[in-house]
Amino acid sequence: MAKKVKIFTAPTCGYCAQAKAYFTEKGIAFEAFDVTSDAEAMQEMRKISGGARSVPVIAVGEEVIVGFDRSAVEKALEGA
Amino acid sequence: MEVVLYSIDGCPFCEKARAFLASKDIAFQEISAPQGSQAWEEMKNLTGSGTVPQVLIGGHAIGGYADLVDLELTGKLQEALGLKQAQPAPQLYDVIILGAGPAGLSAAIYTIRKLLKTLIISADVGGQIAWTSDVENYLGFSQVNAAELVSKFESHVKRFDVEKIIGSEVSAVDLIGRSKRVTTSDGKTYWGKTLIIATGGRHRPLNIPGEKELLAKGLTYCSTCDAPLFAGAEVAVVGGGNSALGAVVDLINIATRITLISLTPLTGDPIYREKVVKSEKVEIFTGYQPTRVLGETMVEGLEFKSLATGEIKTVAVEGVFVEIGIQPNTSLFLDILTTNDKGEILVDTQCRTGVAGVFACGDVTNVPFKQVVVAVGEGAKAALSAYNYLMSQK
Repeated sequence: MAKKVKIFTAPTCGYCAQAKAYFTEKGIAFEAFDVTSDAEAMQEMRKISGGARSVPVIAVGEEVIVGFDRSAVEKALEGA
Repeated sequence: MEVVLYSIDGCPFCEKARAFLASKDIAFQEISAPQGSQAWEEMKNLTGSGTVPQVLIGGHAIGGYADLVDLELTGKLQEALGLKQAQPAPQLYDVIILGAGPAGLSAAIYTIRKLLKTLIISADVGGQIAWTSDVENYLGFSQVNAAELVSKFESHVKRFDVEKIIGSEVSAVDLIGRSKRVTTSDGKTYWGKTLIIATGGRHRPLNIPGEKELLAKGLTYCSTCDAPLFAGAEVAVVGGGNSALGAVVDLINIATRITLISLTPLTGDPIYREKVVKSEKVEIFTGYQPTRVLGETMVEGLEFKSLATGEIKTVAVEGVFVEIGIQPNTSLFLDILTTNDKGEILVDTQCRTGVAGVFACGDVTNVPFKQVVVAVGEGAKAALSAYNYLMSQK
């Protein structure tokens, strides 16, 4: 079963756009949250990332990656 | 599938076609076809063309060298040869481009259109534009979202089926031999006849205690990305140039209070300076240097010191935006290439580094004015220089 992917973003963030494009291109379904307009998502992002206040934060299943680090994302996706 | 090459002696593209076929381990029959000869007449009949080289695969006229490379570039060569798509053997690229920002991607367009076998290796795509929101000074685009501009660059390059390895860090380079070797952090090795360094720059860090520990926990180098996350918060911005003042201008509409700390008097554009100085939300400390980022699990404050008196101040903030300029990504090349006092690679007007076959372009070089349009132009120059170099090596 595929791991659930969540991307926490802000509208002005280029890396967030790149991260979303990356998953779209790979055909991997994801949920995106704009933390600047969704207080609940902001809380969740900070909770799962150990207090990150920087976007994007990408959750692949249980793995949480702060910033769009392709190799970390790929590792997290392995075995998905 | 039978491959036939019509050629004459002393024709550079015949030589290239021969080398190309040999490099792919493709067996071929070569027929000398000087103009007016019987072979030449035969070639004209078969291909409809009187120029050499001419390549036939299984009796089908492919065209000249450029058409052969085109087949390869579009991935159709294997198919034409009647082979299954095989795993390509480790091969020697004409050009390896390090970096996929504006300079690297522009270089790729030019090398691929010169039919050079090109590989791009980069940790990310877009380079520093990814930190920007809008670009308003790129010719042809009065205002374009930075992510959109990057994706336009990317899709332009994609049209040409360039090989790309994105997400890999380069861990070592060997520039001295005739072939240049690039090793990535996953241990893979790539060889290029030439190397174009377009590794750009990254945000200069403060190098003070607390900075690394609190990165992404309130401390950020990308104010464009993260400023909107500090609604209703008190924040500090470090720096006095356009990036710092731009961050302050963005934050005026978001944060409740902004402390701006700069070593020097503010140097950004007057339009920014005026907005920053006029805002009641902004308190400015010039002639101060940050000394410590405060906080355990998240940013709680910033300590800074007066250069004149040594007096230490602290301010309670949730966010610290570091915008003190860019440093070039040159650590891999420092022992071989000549750099200036900023660590930028010195290049001549043709993007040559002084090491044969190694070129550099964009923000990693000493070329002034770090602009997208400049990087794009420099990328083109580096590619054409690499092409000239390769031609001179034949």
